Amino acid sequence: MSAALRAQAIGRRRGVPPTLALSKGYMLAGPALIVMAAVFVYPLAYSFVMSFFQWDLSAGSNDFLGLANYTDAFGSPEFLQSLRNQVIFSGASLTTEVVAGMGVALLINGKLRGLRLARTLLLIPPMIAPSVIGLNFRWLFNEQYGLFDAILRNLHLPLIPWLSNPNWALVSVTIADVWQNTPLLVLLFLAGLQSLPQEPLEAASVDGASAWRTFWSIILPLLRPVMFIALMLRIIDTFRTFDVVWLMTQGGPGGATTLITVEAYLLAFQGVDFGHAAAVSYIALAMSLVLLSALYGVPWLLARWRRS
Amino acid sequence: MNQYLSRRRFLHGSTAAAVATGAGPRIARGAAGATEIKALLITGGPLYPKYWEALTRDFKQKTGITVSYDMLQFTPMTSKEVTLGAARSAEYDVYSTHTAQIGSFFNYFEPLNKYFSASELSDFYPVAMKYLTDPRTGGLAAIPRNVDARVQYYRTDIYDEHNLKPARTWDDLVHVSQTVTGGGHYGLVVPGQGDPAQRTFSDYLWQAGGDWVDDKNKPAFNSAEGIQALTFYRDLIQKYKVTPPDAVSYGWNENTSEFASGAVYDTFNWPTNYAILSSPDTSKVVGKWATAPYVRNKAAISCAVSHAMALNSLSRKKDAALEFIRYVVSPDAQLLAFQQFTYFPSRQALAEKVIAQAQGQKAVWLQQLKRTIATGKEWPKLPGFSKVCILMYGAIERALSNQMSPEASLNQAAKEALEAMRQAGAYR
Repeated sequence: MSAALRAQAIGRRRGVPPTLALSKGYMLAGPALIVMAAVFVYPLAYSFVMSFFQWDLSAGSNDFLGLANYTDAFGSPEFLQSLRNQVIFSGASLTTEVVAGMGVALLINGKLRGLRLARTLLLIPPMIAPSVIGLNFRWLFNEQYGLFDAILRNLHLPLIPWLSNPNWALVSVTIADVWQNTPLLVLLFLAGLQSLPQEPLEAASVDGASAWRTFWSIILPLLRPVMFIALMLRIIDTFRTFDVVWLMTQGGPGGATTLITVEAYLLAFQGVDFGHAAAVSYIALAMSLVLLSALYGVPWLLARWRRS
Repeated sequence: MNQYLSRRRFLHGSTAAAVATGAGPRIARGAAGATEIKALLITGGPLYPKYWEALTRDFKQKTGITVSYDMLQFTPMTSKEVTLGAARSAEYDVYSTHTAQIGSFFNYFEPLNKYFSASELSDFYPVAMKYLTDPRTGGLAAIPRNVDARVQYYRTDIYDEHNLKPARTWDDLVHVSQTVTGGGHYGLVVPGQGDPAQRTFSDYLWQAGGDWVDDKNKPAFNSAEGIQALTFYRDLIQKYKVTPPDAVSYGWNENTSEFASGAVYDTFNWPTNYAILSSPDTSKVVGKWATAPYVRNKAAISCAVSHAMALNSLSRKKDAALEFIRYVVSPDAQLLAFQQFTYFPSRQALAEKVIAQAQGQKAVWLQQLKRTIATGKEWPKLPGFSKVCILMYGAIERALSNQMSPEASLNQAAKEALEAMRQAGAYR
């Protein structure tokens, strides 16, 4: 429908001249659109433009570089390492959070005593500021005074170099992320479980289906929309994770926990190279968009393929 | 409107004061009677807010200029300044800054040479002035309000028990640290993360006889001396095991707290450490430590850097802002900073006075600091070197955590550093 036809339709419905109705609509939406453009679209567009320039504070001139910042990024070992870290971090934390979140949600989706309190307590980790979580986990993982190694020491087990070993450091930041975000997924899954239609579950029970069979064949398919939303939120979140990692490890040791956001921060605020930092940020944005498209697109394509 | 009026008032005041006092080019007291300037100042710890409050209050009493200021800790402050610099913002007239990051701001801060007489500038420590100066233009981007250098802090009780003297050379350092390491205590603590790791490597690089760049400003930190320096640094943690095993994740906070808690017996630390270790509120080892010079190898060189004050080149109130900068680096203000934070003065005459008045252990320590400052250095302030720094964080950490050999790690960083500096125009 063209804009003119749309305006006519609106005008007919409300009893006002069509052009006036359309312009009134734009006028009413205008302030919000302007604010949105100022705080969202403009910075986004500006930083995108920036990614094609040499925007280096110490260089003094902003030369147009074309795609050089992007090609440089893919040629940089530090960026490739951050890409690898990001994939491992996002994959490990998403998998753990979804599995643990679903498990805990199923566990507390009953009428046992104390479950109300448990549900309330689950709200605490997502409510804590990421910076507080980062600092706390830095101390918890400290090898001299930290809680985790103190427990291992008391059990006469070998100590774990949580933050000083490259592999363990990535595990440590993943643990902190899982601790903070699993409760959010528990709450989402719990809301989903409590809104499930009871008839199929009752029918399965009458038919003598096992708990596993009921979960796999009824609960999980019915929960798919909730899972998609949860995954979408967490994919976006993992590609934005910065505070916890920065405060725990500053991306170290030796870039072992440098995620794409940390790499962009280092380039922008310590390397004062905003052009490169913007390019790295847009690569991260593209990656999360590709993942989100896959999340929605693959099931849609599968469904279409089945229908055909 | 306000801006116009205040500027006019400022000019009127200026003229009146100049006539009254016969002052020369310097702005007169009360010249900016109703002027208000804005400053972004550094903070950290409970004493800084009181220090700035006292300084700005006193400044207003003397000049009539109001300084409204925001305070941030070092890292967020630098990030904010980088953002404002990139946006060419005139929001703040005056900035706290530091030698470490000054290379990023040469295009944003106003060169201060023309506002200070040559004799005035000659009072400041040359090392502080050299590394706050843009090597391409000779413009002084900021003026130092202190000089920071590190000396050795060691546990006298433990060393006496083992009949040891503080280490003077690299070999001594290994021997002494190995002797006292044991029973959950470590002979030494070194930072191993980010900028603190780069500073520590820098010290060892110069002590081994190397340098960051060659005479053509090409990266030279991967020379034989550089490899020797990083190997020694790594071996302290991984081979000799004289430091806490997680030292690779330590910054300055851990470097201080490990010694102050009594867990570690030797450290190389900044002047503020002296005040921290002297107070029972922040130290468990009060009265059990002394200072000694930094260790040496082929040379006795370590970092000497400064907190400094800079003028925004886009400021619309440069005269009033300059007056405040002058005040912050004045002998009175520096003396207050020394008394509160044990900040070593950037003015040589004041430093001599402070040293002459000090007694006992403090006098010894100040003499050691003075000697360290006399031979102190800083990494070069060339275009693109800020980016080289972040490459170095990774390179040093990779070697310290045994992910790569020192040689491979430095060679990779040198290759990337050359490209980063070339892109930033260091060789144009």
